[in-house]
Amino acid sequence: MIVCSNCKHTNLDGAMFCAECGAQLVGRENLITQNITTKQFEDSSKDRPAASDMYQPFDGSDAWGSLHLLDTGQVLPLSVRNEFTMGRISEGQPIMPDIDLSPYQAYAAGVSRLHGVIKRDGNRVIFMDLGSANGTYINGKRLTPNVEQVLNHGDIVALGKLKMQILVRNS
Amino acid sequence: MPFNKQDHYAILGVFRDASQEEIKRAYFEAAQRLHPDKNVAAGETELFLEIQKAYEILSNPKRRNLYDATLPPEIEVNSALKHEILFSRPNLVSLSEPQLVYALLEIGTRAEKDSLPTPPLNICLVLDRSTSMQGDKMDMVKATAIQLLRSLRPEDVLSVIAFSDYAEVIVPAAINMDIKKQEGRIQMMQASGATEIYNGLQAGLKEIRRTLDPSRVNHIILLTDGQTYGDEQACLKLAEEAAAHNVGITGMGIGNDWNDIFLDALAGKTGGSSAYISKPKDIQRLLVDKFNALISTYADDVLLEFKIPEHVKLNYVFRLQPEVGSVEIEIPMHLGPILRDTPLHVLFEFLVSPPALADDTVELLNGALKASITVRPTPVPPIRINLKREVHNNPSMDPPPSRILSALSQLTLYRMQERARAAADQGQYDSASRHLKNLATHLLSQGEHSLAKTALFEADNLERMHAWSAGGTKNIKYNTRALLLAGQKEKTK
Repeated sequence: MIVCSNCKHTNLDGAMFCAECGAQLVGRENLITQNITTKQFEDSSKDRPAASDMYQPFDGSDAWGSLHLLDTGQVLPLSVRNEFTMGRISEGQPIMPDIDLSPYQAYAAGVSRLHGVIKRDGNRVIFMDLGSANGTYINGKRLTPNVEQVLNHGDIVALGKLKMQILVRNS
Repeated sequence: MPFNKQDHYAILGVFRDASQEEIKRAYFEAAQRLHPDKNVAAGETELFLEIQKAYEILSNPKRRNLYDATLPPEIEVNSALKHEILFSRPNLVSLSEPQLVYALLEIGTRAEKDSLPTPPLNICLVLDRSTSMQGDKMDMVKATAIQLLRSLRPEDVLSVIAFSDYAEVIVPAAINMDIKKQEGRIQMMQASGATEIYNGLQAGLKEIRRTLDPSRVNHIILLTDGQTYGDEQACLKLAEEAAAHNVGITGMGIGNDWNDIFLDALAGKTGGSSAYISKPKDIQRLLVDKFNALISTYADDVLLEFKIPEHVKLNYVFRLQPEVGSVEIEIPMHLGPILRDTPLHVLFEFLVSPPALADDTVELLNGALKASITVRPTPVPPIRINLKREVHNNPSMDPPPSRILSALSQLTLYRMQERARAAADQGQYDSASRHLKNLATHLLSQGEHSLAKTALFEADNLERMHAWSAGGTKNIKYNTRALLLAGQKEKTK
């Protein structure tokens, strides 16, 4: 028996596509469950960089903030719009996130398809978890889903296991 | 054409282990086709004599034994057709629950496509002229029929039947007719009356049989815009009769009021399929396309005779090309035509139950493919098809062949709309609507925005009004079919 990872329909062994939702069942990597222990978070808050050596991405662009991915060191600027949904794009998905994290191993890190939303409200930057499967942690503390949380410059946001530092431009 | 003149089995088109019954049947079939009283083509009398000689030897057990002793070992090479079989996985797994396995059968021509002559046509257009055809539809049908008549080559035959409550021969089947006069007769067709498909089909078959010839492509094209009432079973019987005479049927439905399931079943009996014409202006394009496909026919209807062992079930058979459609599971199975430039691709889904796994190897299907090739008068030796898989303890980690994977991904979409329809027919509108939404999601991810929108629109209709919109089912069905065809074409390029 094969359980479809998309809709939990049980398919006969040997099936290649889910009979219920049509999602592909074989020929692609399996979802690996990862354990995230609190210790890892404690460790991660320790490596939180001091304010002095924090990455300064603002080179005259009009970004109001940016996301610094700690694992890969990449920086995603947040500009033009005031609100971005974050998640990963996968096949057969009706709603696309504004920021697709799938190039950064989002799948393996346990990021949901539609994980959370980051937005600007005046000078404040707010994050809200949209009921993700593996949760969102800010500086190691788990957020209550669908409740807004103000972010400060330099906070570490973890979507599942994918950690990023939030950099806010002071206007 | 490389052809071993000495092999009497090949001449009759039977296997070497054929029973006397089979040999007799093959002889009668070939003799009917090639009898000198009927056939005047050069060289065919010689073929007839060869067949007679082969039968004389093989029908006598003593002489057959003597002859068998002189035969070189059998070489399983078919001179006219080549085939390939792909499986979804290299082996079955020893399991205590039922499992699925897919097989993709591809059959094509062995000859270079440019070196083949095109077969002459023997086509009958069976046109609905019920009251509902009045206006645009009728004008377009007339114009197209005349266009086709003018485009005929001297060796082609085109007859035209118009039917409503009764059928009338508009253009009889004949060679070298006065085209101007026939055009006038087509122009004079008037729309009136009800749709009774049986009448039209019967007259069409009668007309086509006047010039019936195995070296031609014999085909009936039925064009209708309405439902026939009460004579469906009789029509299906007629289609079986047509298939027995090697006459193919294509059903084309115009607008929203015709019964696509019935037309599919009707055409399916002969290995054909149905087509959907949403607007009158498409009539011309679809008919001309169909004509071109018929001209490039290599083998008209490939038959699969087969046996399936106990505990194995053939769940579903689907033709991916040249015409997309599901194939009715019956013995023999009509798989459909092989075109000169488009091989036949058929996908099989087998359900294997645990008791079948007792041996090391499981036989899924054992049978033979038979085809008659239009440009070749002699029988083609059948191709043995024996599908089997070994049973292992662990599933293989190899990814499935990409051709099967992509075929199945498209087919999954088609089956989703079938399921939605079945659910709606049973009054389960919620589940039908869910299937359609799932379908829409996949269509969107493939960039098929307009079809996805249609699917969502129908899902909404089902939820709110518990009904499809007019033409909704056909729209989704035939457009997903078209998608399948496009997917296949892209791959071969």
